[in-house]
Amino acid sequence: MKTVLIVEDDPDIQSLIETIFSMDPRFSVVGLADSAEDGLELARTTTPEVIVLDDHLGGALTGVDAVPQFKKAAPGAKIILFTAHADLQARVVSQPDIDAFLLKTETGELLPLAQQLTNMLSLL
Amino acid sequence: MTSAETVVGQDASTAKAPDAAETENYARAILNILDDASDEQRRQGDNQRAMLNILDDLDTEKIRLESTQAALINMLDDLEVERRKVDRSNIELREVNEAMRSFIATAAHDLRSPLASMVGFSSLLANNWATLNEENRLKFVATIDRQSHKLTFLVNDLLTLSSIEGGVLNTEPEQIVLAEAIRACLAASSRDAGNVSVSCAPDLVVHADPVHLGRIIDNYVQNAFKYGEPPVRIEVTTAGDMAEIRVVDHGPGVPPEFEAKLFGKFARAEGTIQKKGTGLGLSIVRGLAEANGGQAWYQPNVPHGSCFIVMLPTETESGPTDERSRR
Repeated sequence: MKTVLIVEDDPDIQSLIETIFSMDPRFSVVGLADSAEDGLELARTTTPEVIVLDDHLGGALTGVDAVPQFKKAAPGAKIILFTAHADLQARVVSQPDIDAFLLKTETGELLPLAQQLTNMLSLL
Repeated sequence: MTSAETVVGQDASTAKAPDAAETENYARAILNILDDASDEQRRQGDNQRAMLNILDDLDTEKIRLESTQAALINMLDDLEVERRKVDRSNIELREVNEAMRSFIATAAHDLRSPLASMVGFSSLLANNWATLNEENRLKFVATIDRQSHKLTFLVNDLLTLSSIEGGVLNTEPEQIVLAEAIRACLAASSRDAGNVSVSCAPDLVVHADPVHLGRIIDNYVQNAFKYGEPPVRIEVTTAGDMAEIRVVDHGPGVPPEFEAKLFGKFARAEGTIQKKGTGLGLSIVRGLAEANGGQAWYQPNVPHGSCFIVMLPTETESGPTDERSRR
């Protein structure tokens, strides 16, 4: 079972991501947070294997700025930056701690991407 | 010829009286000397006049040079003023460019977010209809419905602003009983707007487009809850043939350095970036107020908080009475 932490401040998108991961029984959502600060706390206590992270969040800290702290809190986690800000894609290149970038309008790609990052696709 | 000097220099004991010819010679010599002296005096006079002319010319030249210098200094001052204007324009253009870039990014984000929900949940429904229970189906459809309204609102804002800026806004003014319009607007608004106190004469009528009036009041009230603090109240007074609608909150108020930009497009004050919105609301309010023959502006509330004002033309004059509207 691969554990997933969702850090997203829009309750509808949060619910959508949770539902998407519930479609694959090999994933288990272990935490939901609407700010990077709360997400970091959950990352320390749950050590997730996948973190779906938005950038524009409820707290003072943005998702991108919090990435190094997430990596420190959960060193083995694959971080997917899941955002509606297309211009952030350029920053992913200079931020090695971000494992993948996905626009929110491409929700259909989220589950296959998480499967790929956690090597599930090669096991199929 | 004997010169006058040698005669004058002779010893007096040995001198003899000059004859008439010598006397004439002396006289001529003296006259010649006097002529020479006169010529010399004229030459000196001429030289003096020439010198004075030269001094006059120098003085004129000096004045001309001073005038040229003053003109050059003025030109340099003008150039400095122009340079500062260009610098200011450059700064303003950079700010507008940055605001545009920020707006496009924000608008794209705000357009994509509801789209993401709509696309995501509709895909879930389409691909998993048979396995989803009734409760989840209804939940997903409700989310799609909510997000589609959110998207519609945002697109309408963008279109309204575009119409205002393009000078093609359609305005259909009517006689509106203001107290009723405010009550209807609050009733149709979010849950927060139910706790707004209203002070407005019951028979005060304004001449405005009802959709625009609703949009203005709704925007002010939403902002009061979004950026300010309760209690929020709406006060209406009249000034001549205009009605002043004031929406007052008791939050931190607008930072003074941001007041001038408040009604501009894409306006987002420091510390409000995390709040949802495109920064178009107040720009639209001002455009709608002006399209209806009015004005919109801000002033700080005393002792703290914000006061957003819109002034619209009235149909009749009436004094305010107190009324409290709670939903």
